[in-house]
Amino acid sequence: MSKRPLVPSFLQKLDDKLLRNKPGAWATRVHLVIYFVAAFALLLFVFCYAVFFDAKQYSRIESWNVFVGLIAFIGFVFWLIFLLRFNVFKRYGNWSAMDGLRDFALYFISIGAMVAVCFVPSAVETMRANQQFGNEEIVKDINELNINACRLEYNILPLEWTVDTCKLVDKARFPQAVDVVVPTPDTVIDSVRAEEEYNRIRYTYLDTAELRSKLEIADSVLKLNDSLYVFYQCPNYRFISSYNADDYSAVKMFSSADIYNSTVKNYKKPDRSALMKRMVELQAKYASNSPYYYGEYNTIDENDNYETRINKTYDFTRIGNGIDNAVRKKQAWIEDWPMYLRIFYYTTLLLTMLVFIFRHSTVKTFFLSVLAALLLAILTGLLMVVSQGDEISALSFMIVYYVVFAVLGLSIFKTGVRKAVQGIGLNLFLFATPFVPLIFVALNEAMQYNRYSEPLRVYEERDPAQTALYFLIAEIAGSVILVILIQPLFKKLYRKWYSAPEE
Amino acid sequence: MNNPAAEISSYLKHGDYSVAVRRTLDLCLDSGNDVLIEKAIGWSRQYHAIEHGEAGKALPAVFSEEAEKILQEASATGAGSVEQHKHLISAENISKKYNNGSFSLKPINLSVDTGDVLGVVGENGNGKTTLLRCLAGQLGLNNGVIRYHLLENPDAYAIKNHIAFIPQRIPKWYGMLKDNLHFSAAIAGINGDKNNLMVDFMLERLNLSSYAHLTWDQISSGYRTRFEIARILLQKPRLLILDEPLANLDINAQQTILTDLIFMAKGVHNPMGIILSSQQLHEVEKVADSVIFIKQGNCIYKSSDAEGKITSNAVEFETKAERESIIRLFGEGNIELQFNGGFYTIISATLSSQEIIGKLIDAKIPVTYFRDITYSTKRFF
Repeated sequence: MSKRPLVPSFLQKLDDKLLRNKPGAWATRVHLVIYFVAAFALLLFVFCYAVFFDAKQYSRIESWNVFVGLIAFIGFVFWLIFLLRFNVFKRYGNWSAMDGLRDFALYFISIGAMVAVCFVPSAVETMRANQQFGNEEIVKDINELNINACRLEYNILPLEWTVDTCKLVDKARFPQAVDVVVPTPDTVIDSVRAEEEYNRIRYTYLDTAELRSKLEIADSVLKLNDSLYVFYQCPNYRFISSYNADDYSAVKMFSSADIYNSTVKNYKKPDRSALMKRMVELQAKYASNSPYYYGEYNTIDENDNYETRINKTYDFTRIGNGIDNAVRKKQAWIEDWPMYLRIFYYTTLLLTMLVFIFRHSTVKTFFLSVLAALLLAILTGLLMVVSQGDEISALSFMIVYYVVFAVLGLSIFKTGVRKAVQGIGLNLFLFATPFVPLIFVALNEAMQYNRYSEPLRVYEERDPAQTALYFLIAEIAGSVILVILIQPLFKKLYRKWYSAPEE
Repeated sequence: MNNPAAEISSYLKHGDYSVAVRRTLDLCLDSGNDVLIEKAIGWSRQYHAIEHGEAGKALPAVFSEEAEKILQEASATGAGSVEQHKHLISAENISKKYNNGSFSLKPINLSVDTGDVLGVVGENGNGKTTLLRCLAGQLGLNNGVIRYHLLENPDAYAIKNHIAFIPQRIPKWYGMLKDNLHFSAAIAGINGDKNNLMVDFMLERLNLSSYAHLTWDQISSGYRTRFEIARILLQKPRLLILDEPLANLDINAQQTILTDLIFMAKGVHNPMGIILSSQQLHEVEKVADSVIFIKQGNCIYKSSDAEGKITSNAVEFETKAERESIIRLFGEGNIELQFNGGFYTIISATLSSQEIIGKLIDAKIPVTYFRDITYSTKRFF
């Protein structure tokens, strides 16, 4: 019974059991990888939990990702050394019917575990931010900060709303309507015309889409007739307004109009000392030690407008940064999970395929395959430059290459001896397979785009959601095709190629 | 080997314990009885513990008693019965030419049955390894055909699974030696407790138990060969091809390994054929059922074809006597006397080997070594 350092007895027993009963699974060392990754992830979790105690501070998650990524990479290399020097594929024996698929799955799990650990700091950061600040809590505090500032600084607040009269026009039919020439004393000759011109430019011309957008954000609107609207804009009372802060909150951030109506319009003199005390509390709660904050800028200048004065008086820059930091951390996984998922999936998939290929190929053929891929990329790049090829040309090249790899790989079924060129073809055939549907979808999209861009054709905007769905289906289809082909095709080809006699 | 139990009892009676232990292990393995195999392993461990212990310490009486019990049980199971010979491999006019044109193996015919040992001898660089690699399916042929009689329409993978090839330079093992053996047994379909039993058996059978927990770098090249043989045997190949297996072994280990291979090849557990190449002509010829000699890619001698065709007898000997005195003894023209700097060789068409040696002894010529090489490939070196 082998004794490995840091391996507990239960794992040692499992190791021995796998060695005697499931040698293929044992050789992937998946059980050891999962154990060590889980142990490391736990340690990392505890460490990050302790370190990320203050969500309002600026996030250093990129540095953490690099740090943990390096450790994961070292672990990957360590595992790879174990894995590659004990090459199961090169041992002849009674392997199970699904050994290729099983090996691929176990490599994927092992590599996936090592890649996944890189996301622990980010996940802990988000978790800690959510523990420290509730969604509603942040929004309520933002509203309170804005209202308190207005109550404390009522004397310097502007109270007049700006007015904007807008006219609905069809800009496609009357494009000149937007080309307003601003009259200057030199250009005004005819006073009557000048008056008309003056009146005309007082309207902001809108089409229906712009009107719809403006209506959504308007503080107040007066509809004069079907094509004439008067928009009223409240002065800004939102000194702190964190982007997306109320996206996942039942309580919404007050608009300036809300604050005007609740606080400014019917202003009552506040208890200043109580409000100041509360402002200090909120400052302590949210003010970050942002590197973008410079204290000397808090000195109020007589030329400062009311917003700048309030910002400086109540340290709103640091408070705003703190709130932004916390909100960004809280929502990192909500907004970015598809990106994280793709980073995880493609990193794991690519490494898994490389490991699978290395173990099923010879060292020489593996590196020749890498070299061949690089040379093809350079050659294609040169051809593209010389022929001024576009995206369609590049994608067409890829399809041609894939067909060549497939033909070379499949020719192994007909050969009696082991040839390096067939091994290279097979390696690249496998490596390219999950991306083939993506290439076809991209090619189709590019061709559609080109078709619509032809002269005299009206450009038909393609629905981005539909396009994204096609790409998603292609991504999934590629992986499914690879999984389906691993055992009956690729494993069979590798087995035949590797066991064939040399020339 | 008609009565292996009696043979082993005889070894025990005369104190040949080492061979008795090994043969008992073989007998128990042939019985197919796991309990008996386990007993034999325990008994073997007892022997090796004493053997490696204090020098000169006698084996206790209980040791022989235990042996007799095991032998009785093994005999009761009918172990030791000989399996019928089966054709394993036959090569017809196989030839190989390397692409760089540096060397070519001329057409060769040969065949091996289960239990047979074929020795391939020849000087370095004359095609022994090329022939073995062709037979093992590692090199493609230019001409000829190899038939693997126990396989139906085999592909290259099935052939390599059927045949075990041990190269002269054995690839390094990684990790603990015993783990490698467990692994090899497991991929051969030997799982669970049986896996432990067979690995323990093989370690005891080849006297490797003391080294099982070491790594490749911690053992000598001779032990590496033995571990590789153990690993291969656990996978139960039907044909074992060894390229210069004796190169790294001391003289005792050479004898032991060769006899072990013969016993195992002819055993019931996994009867197999063996093809081995070696420079150790005497050792190979002693155990091989047939020998072929390869020179510059040509098979110039086949022991199976030579019988009845040899027209002269040859004796190799070492003496300090003068060449003239030897010629005087046999008479000028009656013999051909060759001297290679170390040994004399007398070739005679009229005298038998016994008569040649008898004459030397009668004439009181001091002979320090002699060997009948009438049917030996040594004549071609």
